[in-house]
Amino acid sequence: MEVLLPKLPSFKFPTPSYCRSITTKTSSCVRVGFRRLSSLPVCASTVNEALADPTVDSPSLGHSTRPHFPILHQEVNGSKLVYIDNAATSQKPTAVIKALQNYYEGYNSNVHRGIHFLSAKATDEYESARRKVEAFINASDSREIVFTRNATEAINLVAYSWGLSNLKPGDEIILTVAEHHSAIVPWQLVAQKVGAVLKFVNLNDEEVPNIDQLKELLSRKTKIVVVHHVSNVLASVLPIKDIAHWAHDVGAKILVDACQSVPHMTVDVQDLDVDFLVASSHKMCGPTGIGFLYGKLDLLSSMPPFLGGGEMISDVYLDHSTYAEPPSRFEAGTPAIGEAIGLGAAIDYLSGIGMEAIHEYEVELGTYLYERLLSVPNIHIYGPAPSKEVKRASLCSFNVENLHPTDLATFLDQQHGVAIRSGHHCAQPLHRYLGVNASARASLYFYNTKEDVDNFIHALHDTVSFFNSFK
Amino acid sequence: MVFSFSQPTAANAMHIPATMISTKFPLSLLNKKTSTFFIKPAKTLFSFRPITFQRLPANPPSPPPSSSSSSSSSPPSTSLQPIEELPPKLQEIINLFQSVQEPKAKYEQLLFYGKNLKPLEPQFKTKENKVEGCVSQVWVRAYLDSDKNVVYEADSDSVLTKGLAALLVQSFSGRPVNEIIRVTPDFVMLLGLQQSLTASRNNGFLNMLKLMQKKALLLYVEAEKGTSESNSIGNSDFKDDSYVENSSGPSVTPSLSVGFSSEIDDDNVDLGGRGKRIKEKLEKELHPIELEVEDVSYQHAGHAGVRGSNGETHFNVKVVSEEFQGKSLVKRHRLIYNLLQDELESGLHALSIVAKTPSEVSKG
Repeated sequence: MEVLLPKLPSFKFPTPSYCRSITTKTSSCVRVGFRRLSSLPVCASTVNEALADPTVDSPSLGHSTRPHFPILHQEVNGSKLVYIDNAATSQKPTAVIKALQNYYEGYNSNVHRGIHFLSAKATDEYESARRKVEAFINASDSREIVFTRNATEAINLVAYSWGLSNLKPGDEIILTVAEHHSAIVPWQLVAQKVGAVLKFVNLNDEEVPNIDQLKELLSRKTKIVVVHHVSNVLASVLPIKDIAHWAHDVGAKILVDACQSVPHMTVDVQDLDVDFLVASSHKMCGPTGIGFLYGKLDLLSSMPPFLGGGEMISDVYLDHSTYAEPPSRFEAGTPAIGEAIGLGAAIDYLSGIGMEAIHEYEVELGTYLYERLLSVPNIHIYGPAPSKEVKRASLCSFNVENLHPTDLATFLDQQHGVAIRSGHHCAQPLHRYLGVNASARASLYFYNTKEDVDNFIHALHDTVSFFNSFK
Repeated sequence: MVFSFSQPTAANAMHIPATMISTKFPLSLLNKKTSTFFIKPAKTLFSFRPITFQRLPANPPSPPPSSSSSSSSSPPSTSLQPIEELPPKLQEIINLFQSVQEPKAKYEQLLFYGKNLKPLEPQFKTKENKVEGCVSQVWVRAYLDSDKNVVYEADSDSVLTKGLAALLVQSFSGRPVNEIIRVTPDFVMLLGLQQSLTASRNNGFLNMLKLMQKKALLLYVEAEKGTSESNSIGNSDFKDDSYVENSSGPSVTPSLSVGFSSEIDDDNVDLGGRGKRIKEKLEKELHPIELEVEDVSYQHAGHAGVRGSNGETHFNVKVVSEEFQGKSLVKRHRLIYNLLQDELESGLHALSIVAKTPSEVSKG
C-alpha cells in the first residue's frame, strides 16, 4: 500500500538513477504491503515476480510518481482505489494543486486589465503558462495558443469562427466514424447552416480508420479534415503528418483532436504541420476548466471572433466594434486564470519526467494490459492488436460476451474499488459501427503500475465469474 | 443459494420509525411475511419458481447494529413516505433487502429478481417504452387489465438493471393507478441499494419509476376519456331515481348523482349518494366493528379523473372487520374493490384503503 512508501524528499523530476534507488525502496514496501492483502495472493506473487526479474521493465515510473498524486491513496467501497479511467480525466500532482493554491493565496487578480502589482503578476504568470503550452507542442509563436474552456470549446471555436466564414454549400468536411462527439457535433451544426457535407471514413479490418479510404475521399471539394490523433476507444494512432500533407495537397485544412495524444507523447505541431490542434488540460494532469486551441497565426488572424465581450475587442462604439489580434480575439471575458497557471504547472511536471519516458512506459504497460485482458474468456478488445509497427495507446475498450459493460463496471467498483468507464465514451457512431451499445474501457496513465493492471485483471475475473454463475 | 438474514424483530424492523410500527404497521403481518421468502407472483403473470432461503438458527447473535448504516445511507426520517402507503409487494421487497446487509448479497438478490422477470417481446421495445437516462437499455410496457389495474412488463440488456426493473414490476404490476402514482422515490433509500448502485444507475431506477407512474396515469386518463364520453352520450336516457346496473359500461350519469345528492343532502351533510352507497355496501358485506368513509374528492379537483363527474370520485375508507382475518393486505384490498365494483365502474376513481382486523387495531 502506498502509505508504506518511505517519505520521499521533495523533488520534482526523478532522474533515472534516482528512480532506480526509489524503486528498490518502494518495491520492497509494496511487496510487504501486498502480502498483507490477504485477498490478493495472486497479485502479490505476480508483483514479486515482476519486480524480482530485472529484465522486465520495472514499473519505476509508476511507482516513483504515485506519491505525487494524493488522490490515489485511498479506499473506495472497502477496497484500495485502482484508478484506470484516465482517458476520461487524469489525476493532478501536488505541484499542480499547489500552483492553484498559490495563485489564489498569493496573487489572484484579473489579467490584462489592471496595472497594480497583483494584476501584473497574475498577467505574467498567465502569459507564462501560454508560453509553456507553446513550447510543449512546439508552436512557433505564443500568439498561436488560444486558451479555451476545454478541447470541445476549441473545436466549436474553429467550427463557428473559421467554418461559418469559409465553408460554402457543397463543401466537404472529412471525419472518421471514430471521432469523439465534440469533433462531430459542432461540424454538424455548422454544416447545416452553410450547406456543407460531412463525409466519414470507416474502419478497416484491424478496427482502425481506413487511411486508403481517407485518401480517396479527399478532393478539391474538401475544405477541412477533422481527425483524432489517438482514438479514445480504439487506442489507434493516426499518421497525422501524412494526413496533413494529403489534406494540404487538395487545399484543405486539418484540425487534429489531440486530447489523447498530447498528455501521453511528444506532439510537435510544426513537424506535423497541422492547421489546428486542440487539447484539454484535465487529461494531462492539469485542472479542469481549461484547454487550448493551437492555430497557425495567419489562419487565426483571418478568423472572425467567436464569443464577444471584453478582452477580445480593440475599440467599442455603439454601433460597431473593432477586434483584437489573436489570441485575445478569441478569449472573451475573464479567463480561467488560476487554471491556466495550473496547466502551466502540469506542463512543467510532465516535462520534468519527459514525454518520451512517459510514452515508452505507457507503451509497455499498455501492452501488458492488453495481453492480460486476453486472458479473460470471451473478451473482445477493440482496435488494432499491438505489435512492433502498431503502438497502441495505453487504453483498452472491450466487451465480454453476454455481460453488459455497465454491470461489469458497477461490480468492479463496488466489490473491488476499480474505476473503469462503461458506456459509449462519447463515440456513439463508433459503437454503432462496431455493432454494440456500449463498451467498458480501462485507460492508464504514467502513474499507474503493473500492480494496478494485475489488480484490475484479478477483479475482472472475479466479476466475470460472478455474473456467469447466474446464467 | 443461502441468504443469511436475521429474524426480524421489533428492533430489527427499526428501519421504520417506531411511531409507524406501533400505530400503523401490522407487525404480525410483517413477521408472517418474512418467515420464508417466497417470491410470490402478485398475479400469475410471471413464470416463477419460488425461491426459499435457509433460515438462520432461531437466536441470531444480535440484531445487526450496522444494519441501518449498511442498508441505507441514513435512517429513514419521518419526512420519507410512510412505508404502509407503498404497495404491499413493495413493502415485502423492502423488508427483504433491509435484512440482507452485504452489498454482494443484495446484488445476488437483485439478479434473482431479474432472472425471473418475464421477458418483453421485441415489438414492445419502442422509443415510448424506453427509459431515459439509463446507462443500459431499459424498456417498460404498461397496460390496464380488466380490473383497471396497471400491468407492467419490462426488460433490460444489463442484468443489474433488469433486476431493478423486475423489482419495480413486482411491486407495481396489478396495482391500481392511484396506489402507483402516489409512491415517492423515497423508498429507494429504504432498499439500501443506493449504496450498492452508482448515482447514474440510481437515476435509471428513478426514471424507470417515473416512466411507470407516467404510463399509469396516461392509461388511466385514456380509460377515463372513454368513460366520460359514453357518460355524456347516455345522459338523456336515464331517469334520476334509478341507478341502473348496466353491463355495457358506465351507466350512472352526472345528472343522476346530482339527483341523488340533492335528495339526500338534508340527511347527510358529509357524504353524497356514492359515499352512502359505499358505506352501506361495506357494512352489509363486511360487518365492520369500525367503518369510516371520507369523501376527499375536493383534494383532486381539477385532475383528469374528476372531469366529467360531479364530485364523489376519491374516498378514504377505513374498515376494521373480522372478515380480514387470515387475508393478506392484497386480498383485503381486493375484497373491498370487488364489493365496490359498481361504484368503480360508474365514476369512483380512487379508494385509499385501510383494512384491519380488530386484533390488529387493538395492538397499538
